[in-house]
Amino acid sequence: MFKPIASIAATTVGEAIRRKVLLIILLIGVLFLVVAPGLGMLSARSETTVLRGMMLGIIQLTSAVIAIVLTVYMIPNEIERRTIYTILSKPVQRWQFLVGKYFGAVSALLMMMTLMTSVLVFTFWLQQRDASAIPDLIKAPVMYFVQMSLLAAVAIFFSTFVSPLVNFFLSGGLYLLGSLFAPFFQTLQESQGTPQAAKIFAQLVNTILPNFANYNIQNPIINPGQQIQNESSYYLQVTVYGVLYIAGLLVAGTIVFDRREV
Amino acid sequence: MAAAIETKQLTKTYKSRIHGKINVVDSLDLHVEEGEIFGFLGPNGAGKTTTIKMLLSIIYPDAGEGYVLGKEIGDMSVHRLISYVPERPYYYEHMTGLELLKFYASLFGINDQALFVRLLEKVNLHRDMSKTISQYSKGMQQRVGLAQALLNDPKLMFLDEPTGGLDPIAHREIRDLILSFREEGRTVFISSHELSEVELICDRVAIINKGVIARQGKLTDLLRGGRVEVTFEGVTEQWLKDKGMRDSHVRTIAGGVLLDTTEEEDINALIDAARSNSGRIVSIVPRRKRLEDLFIQTVTDAPAAAAKKTITVEESTSV
Amino acid sequence: MSMTSGINRTPLLGAIVGCALGVFVLQNGIGTQPTGKQYESVTETLKNGNTRTVKKLKAGVATPAFQGISSSWQRDFNQGTVETQGLSPDQLLFALAGFREMIAGILWVRADSFFDSGNYDAILPIIRLVTVLDPKQIDVYATGMWHIGYNFTDEEQRSDRRYIPSALALGKEGARNNSLTYEMFFETGWMWYHKIDDDYSNAVKWFELAQERPDMIPARRNLITNAYERDGKVDKSLDTLFKLYETAGKKAKEDAAFGNKQNRDTLENKLDTTLVRMVQRGWFAGKDGRPLTGYDVNPPFDTGFSAKVTVTEARVLRFEGTWNVLPVGTRIRAVLRDADFPNAKPAGMEWDFSNDVNLDPPRDKTFMQEQLFVRNQRFNKKVDMSKDPTMYPFTSKDYVIEFYYNPRSAPPHIQDKFSWNGEGFTDKNFLNTQVREGQRVMYTSVKISKDQLLRRGDWREKVPVIKTANYLDKDGKAYNQADQVTIDLPSLRAN
Repeated sequence: MFKPIASIAATTVGEAIRRKVLLIILLIGVLFLVVAPGLGMLSARSETTVLRGMMLGIIQLTSAVIAIVLTVYMIPNEIERRTIYTILSKPVQRWQFLVGKYFGAVSALLMMMTLMTSVLVFTFWLQQRDASAIPDLIKAPVMYFVQMSLLAAVAIFFSTFVSPLVNFFLSGGLYLLGSLFAPFFQTLQESQGTPQAAKIFAQLVNTILPNFANYNIQNPIINPGQQIQNESSYYLQVTVYGVLYIAGLLVAGTIVFDRREV
Repeated sequence: MAAAIETKQLTKTYKSRIHGKINVVDSLDLHVEEGEIFGFLGPNGAGKTTTIKMLLSIIYPDAGEGYVLGKEIGDMSVHRLISYVPERPYYYEHMTGLELLKFYASLFGINDQALFVRLLEKVNLHRDMSKTISQYSKGMQQRVGLAQALLNDPKLMFLDEPTGGLDPIAHREIRDLILSFREEGRTVFISSHELSEVELICDRVAIINKGVIARQGKLTDLLRGGRVEVTFEGVTEQWLKDKGMRDSHVRTIAGGVLLDTTEEEDINALIDAARSNSGRIVSIVPRRKRLEDLFIQTVTDAPAAAAKKTITVEESTSV
Repeated sequence: MSMTSGINRTPLLGAIVGCALGVFVLQNGIGTQPTGKQYESVTETLKNGNTRTVKKLKAGVATPAFQGISSSWQRDFNQGTVETQGLSPDQLLFALAGFREMIAGILWVRADSFFDSGNYDAILPIIRLVTVLDPKQIDVYATGMWHIGYNFTDEEQRSDRRYIPSALALGKEGARNNSLTYEMFFETGWMWYHKIDDDYSNAVKWFELAQERPDMIPARRNLITNAYERDGKVDKSLDTLFKLYETAGKKAKEDAAFGNKQNRDTLENKLDTTLVRMVQRGWFAGKDGRPLTGYDVNPPFDTGFSAKVTVTEARVLRFEGTWNVLPVGTRIRAVLRDADFPNAKPAGMEWDFSNDVNLDPPRDKTFMQEQLFVRNQRFNKKVDMSKDPTMYPFTSKDYVIEFYYNPRSAPPHIQDKFSWNGEGFTDKNFLNTQVREGQRVMYTSVKISKDQLLRRGDWREKVPVIKTANYLDKDGKAYNQADQVTIDLPSLRAN
């Protein structure tokens, strides 16, 4: 059952790392990471803060673009080029195909993010000569990877029934909403003037929307000195959240894809 | 003989905003024998690819039944016994020929390097197995497609336009391969526009038009009814006319008298009679019925055929 | 799998429901989830003796059965929300998603170029934007406060005091958003202590808040003793000095690093000096109810303040006057402001009147504050406001000139006579015990009109002069010149 998934995933990785668009985006991200220390030096007083914020922001932004571009075309491309027919004519179920494509995308994403994180670590160490800060610094890209895996799952789910262009904006929009809604939700919940119905509705939206903000853990890393309680427990919780949400999206995608005319 | 493919009233409906519901494939009754090469013909948009997709469980029919190798459509176990080469296939360009076979084989759980090499030899790609697909010509890509189709030693092969866009040499190579598949006992289901190719290699054909099977049967039966032209010297028009042949035309031409008659007539007896009458045979030119003629005739007769919704199967009569 | 219907959906739908439930529970937790405002900062001691400040639930707030991700994230990772008028920043800055810190960093780099080029006005919106984007960037708050409070000056380097409420508001906001660290509390206290140089109780309040944070550095910790003195809480200053000295001594014993020893020695010096001063100034005698005869503060010294203000040209004033204190070190505050300046109080403002960071001060109002330095018992200072029309717009009809002196701000050698609350200080004509509670200060004020200040209308040819009744020119002659119109300053005493 898993062998076809692994084979399709491996092939997907091979294709993804050869896609010029993705390589260009990755290159731009790496270049910005290398240049970032120079910008940090220009800031008034807060060099390390600016450097950390810049580098982590670059990784997150680049990874988000890669995740979306990687996945919105994945299944439509297979249908358009008819490669999907040679695969589905084999003893491969549609869900195996979908899951295999997803894991291939995530594996390619992992490779790219690992490269960027390595550049981050090396550049940071070269600039700051402070290896003690690096373990903390790495926590953010690890959480970003889970975040981008969730984003990839969202995009793959949408790709089962919308066109790539629509999917691009849909997934990108959902990423923005999912990142912004958490603080907005808090404001609503704490506000005295908000009607109860609105609060309940906000609670519903906060639950349904994939909560990408959960993985934005960079603030205490950028501005050290803040205490985080039960840190490991939090990371475990958000990872399990991500895994469950991804599973739900893949299952929903399977249901939709199963009936799709290809 | 057991049926490799059998469909009963198989139907696929699509919804169009302008035309409403359209039966792209309409009550299809298809029958393909095991071990034969079956040609599936039809104009563009007739429903050929849709039919193949339904048989391969890539899409789902809206009505009717379908059986592939005795199993109902959708039974995933039958996919271990069939293979498919799509029209204008696209394979992962970054892979070599060998890697491609390895990938597809892994979907069956097969990992046999020797098999891959053998198959590539069979399709004459063993010298190019380390090249990437992007470096393959169209013909080479078609051949590697056939190689991947043989990985699971299939009983039934679906080939969609196997010779489309290829040069004559490549045509011949593919044709020879297909013939070898039959020798190996496989059933080959070919969807093609190359009528000359189909005429050369297929045992039975079906012509589909506007989602409906218009003709189906043995090629020899379908193409029965050809004509023959015999040019005589030393006999008269009248002499020939007096022979009482049906559906015949006689006229004098430079150098003799031309008889245009059906091939059912006993030409040999006529030749003997002419020679007994001091006549001489200048030439005998058979004008067999071509598949192209049948195809065009079928397609242009389409409204009547569609209204009837019957399948005409012409049985051979003993000569 | 059916030929016409595909896979069996029932188990898949069940799987989706299961995942959704799991997601719901993880995200929202079980039980009522505390909001960000229901946490307070608490300092706890770790096993190794170090302290750390964490957020704990306030008393009375129930701990949920299972804390959801949403609640945990709000507590620990949220950048914080700055309360702006109208929409919150997350609503305004929709497009920025999770990249707030990165954008903030880029903007702050941009601000640096404006610092270099001296374009101070351009820095203000960047400061606001950066602090809204990332309220955890303490450095930006601190630099912003300093910039707003100190960098806006006129041609003669007088600060534009209209900005100080904004600087304070920024400091308060920074402290609210970074309550676990001492820095913003300290910076706000410093603004009261050094820039405002009055209302020292506020400086004390903020320094005390800073002291509660365990990451405060020792050198800054010691400053609170000075603030207590300035606030007249000399006993508290002494107590604190003793405590700090004890702690510093222990630390120097544990770790004989130079810095620790130096801190201990500094505190020891300060303790000695304070005790001596308290004795010499009759502090202990006063507390014991003993007469102050023989102590430095007795009898109180009459400073004999007198002043003359001449509007020599439009927007140009000359302040002249007397002050009987011979040693150098007296600074008399002179204020010129709109009579209806919002939130004004004698010789100052209710600096703390707003929590909103409004970088747009009342530009149609005038507030000039100058320090008049006394040498040889006289002061003589020209204040030219003509070169800075944006800072001194003079749009109102009526203005007020105030003179103010508070012994609390005096340097030690003068305070040795006046003491902390002005016990050794008096002024025959202008002593005032009302404008600052519990303190003896010198204060007087007079109105002046716009026409007089701008030398227009009736005052085009006539030179307005304001003087106290007791003012004498240097040559001892009473002031009386035909082309000048004298406006008498009312005094508190008969002579």
